[in-house]
Amino acid sequence: MSIMLSCLPDGSGCRSAVRESFGRTGRPRAAMTSDPSEVPDLRQRDETDARLLRQVASGDREAFSQLYDRFSGPLYGAALQILRDAAEAQDVVHDAFVSLWEKAAAFETSRGSAFAWAMTLVRNRAIDRLRMRRRRTELLADSAPEDLGYAGDFHAFTGGDSAALDDNARLVRAAVATLPPEQQKALELAFFSGLTQEEIARKLREPLGTVKARIRRGLLKLREALAPKL
Amino acid sequence: MIDERQEELASLHALDLLERGERSRFEGEIASNPQLQVLVRDLRETVSHVASAVPRPLPPPGLKTRVLASLPPAPPEAQPVPRGQIEWFSLAPWALAASLALACVWLGLQWTSSRTHGELLRTQLALTETTLQGTRQQLEAERIVRQRQLSNLEQEVATGSAQIAEARRQATEREQQVARLTRDLRSQISLANLKITALASLLEQTPKASAVAVWDPVQQEGVLKVEKLPALRPTQDYQLWVVDPQYPNPVDGGVFSVDPATGEARLVFKARQPVSNISAFAVTLERKGGVPKAEGPFVLLGK
Repeated sequence: MSIMLSCLPDGSGCRSAVRESFGRTGRPRAAMTSDPSEVPDLRQRDETDARLLRQVASGDREAFSQLYDRFSGPLYGAALQILRDAAEAQDVVHDAFVSLWEKAAAFETSRGSAFAWAMTLVRNRAIDRLRMRRRRTELLADSAPEDLGYAGDFHAFTGGDSAALDDNARLVRAAVATLPPEQQKALELAFFSGLTQEEIARKLREPLGTVKARIRRGLLKLREALAPKL
Repeated sequence: MIDERQEELASLHALDLLERGERSRFEGEIASNPQLQVLVRDLRETVSHVASAVPRPLPPPGLKTRVLASLPPAPPEAQPVPRGQIEWFSLAPWALAASLALACVWLGLQWTSSRTHGELLRTQLALTETTLQGTRQQLEAERIVRQRQLSNLEQEVATGSAQIAEARRQATEREQQVARLTRDLRSQISLANLKITALASLLEQTPKASAVAVWDPVQQEGVLKVEKLPALRPTQDYQLWVVDPQYPNPVDGGVFSVDPATGEARLVFKARQPVSNISAFAVTLERKGGVPKAEGPFVLLGK
């Protein structure tokens, strides 16, 4: 990934964006956890989501409608980023919401937030479709194409209209921008490409162990940066 | 305490990048490690938020309508049971029913297990029989093949014996041929060594009398053919003499008489003594039965 919209090529803008997102001091986790102004809102958001999902479990269509309004934007964006096809992204979001309705009673807050659960549903479905599409293409061709299919330009977290993003997304983008470029690339492929570990390594022309390590370090850094806020 | 390997597996698990077997093993590990559970949950959460930070085009308005229209009837609501309001005696029938149900299930499982075991044994028996039958068929096939090979070998032996007999017969023929050739060769050699001598008349009254003597030195025998010799009186014989310088007197070759009408005769003769170098053949007129040493007049002579 190059840099965020709010970043300058030399990275100085990133630092200011991170500072803005993480608080005036720009300090990581320890400082953020001490900022009481943001955490309650995010916690409140998760609690609201969980409450709505519980209502959905009891058959409340109004609660479901509200949940759709809260989740559909990021879920559709993620599906579109993975599939690069509006119709398929809509199908995936549709199926995920129907599944959410059917399985709402199985949701447990102890295993994560309602949003994370919904995102997992969408991401898994989108990646399944992507892999199926790739297999179909490989079968139709005489052999697997040399290019592994993901046409991503490693700008997933920097494109689009940043004004349309909520604080949460801006916070995530700022955190991602602090990662070294090679970790950003590995994570973006891991998030959106639907490629396996080995395919990502081939795509990046790096040893598998190196790619795994980059994913681990990148994700742990993001967790460290975001956990107190999200 | 979570090590780097677990962190790596947790990261890949959160991103659904683990292979099936790897994922199963790791999920087993998660189940027994609360710290790992927290890490996995946090990473899942992180992934979901990172995935939501992409550009967000608004979903089409019709999508919400479509989703709402697709919703099946409301799922059954889970009814939590409030604590402290349970009347224990009311549970007795349920406990009894549950016990009976458990007993039934246990018996059913036992029966199913026995039946499955029996079926398994029957299957194994069938498999063993099939294997045995296959082995028998294989052995039978091998026996047939061996028998065929044996028959072929016997046929080859018979053929070989016939060939040997034929070879022996041919060898015998060859030997006979060789013997014949040898004999012929000897004959030819003998013929080359034959001594042929013409004998002329010494009698004035029968000047046309003549004879031919052929002598085989190898066989030490010869043939005398005479013609136009005068007929003999009954008390007389003609006697053949072989002259060899190694002896002081001619060697007796035998007596003969002639056809009185033609004066012809044919005499196969052998010398009384071994002869090596013949210088002449002679015929004398002798008394009947011949004499050891020539006494009568010479009738024929050839050198």
